[in-house]
Amino acid sequence: AIEDLFTSLSKHIQRSDFEQAAKVADQVLSIAPGDEDAIRCKVVALIKDDRIEDALSMIQSSQKVPFDFGFFKAYCLYRQNKLDEALESLKRQEGNSATMLLESQILYRLGKMDACMDIYQKLQKSKIDSIEINSVAGLVASGRASE
Amino acid sequence: NPIVLDLAYNFIEFPSLENRM
Ligand SMILES: [K+]
Repeated sequence: AIEDLFTSLSKHIQRSDFEQAAKVADQVLSIAPGDEDAIRCKVVALIKDDRIEDALSMIQSSQKVPFDFGFFKAYCLYRQNKLDEALESLKRQEGNSATMLLESQILYRLGKMDACMDIYQKLQKSKIDSIEINSVAGLVASGRASE
Repeated sequence: NPIVLDLAYNFIEFPSLENRM
């Protein structure tokens, strides 16, 4: 039954066995094509299994799912170093800690340090672990390390 | 330039499957 598959899927996720998680998500999808949870699990499992190209294909073929894959897509494009496309994909997203963090990482790679540092200013109040490491990297890269 | 951590990775999260099991 589909409930058993999701139980199995959940166990693989807890064990960080992303290869198996993707396989079980596929089993769900063979019974229930278009199941949003299964599609989301598969996309995330593929990303965490470093199969970025496969994740992008999955996102591409899931246009009809109501879930907005914009952030995941932007992240995959970032991983492929397609930085302008990644920014483009992020533009359509609402601003939150995740999108702002990814945007700052993209801007850093693009060498747009002022824009990158503007975002870290805005994120200062957020409680994101280790964010100060990236903030300092941005300061050093932009020659503002004394701040 | 200094290394930047991929902190955005931590926001790539699985959906809750609580109600599906
Ligand atoms: K969609």
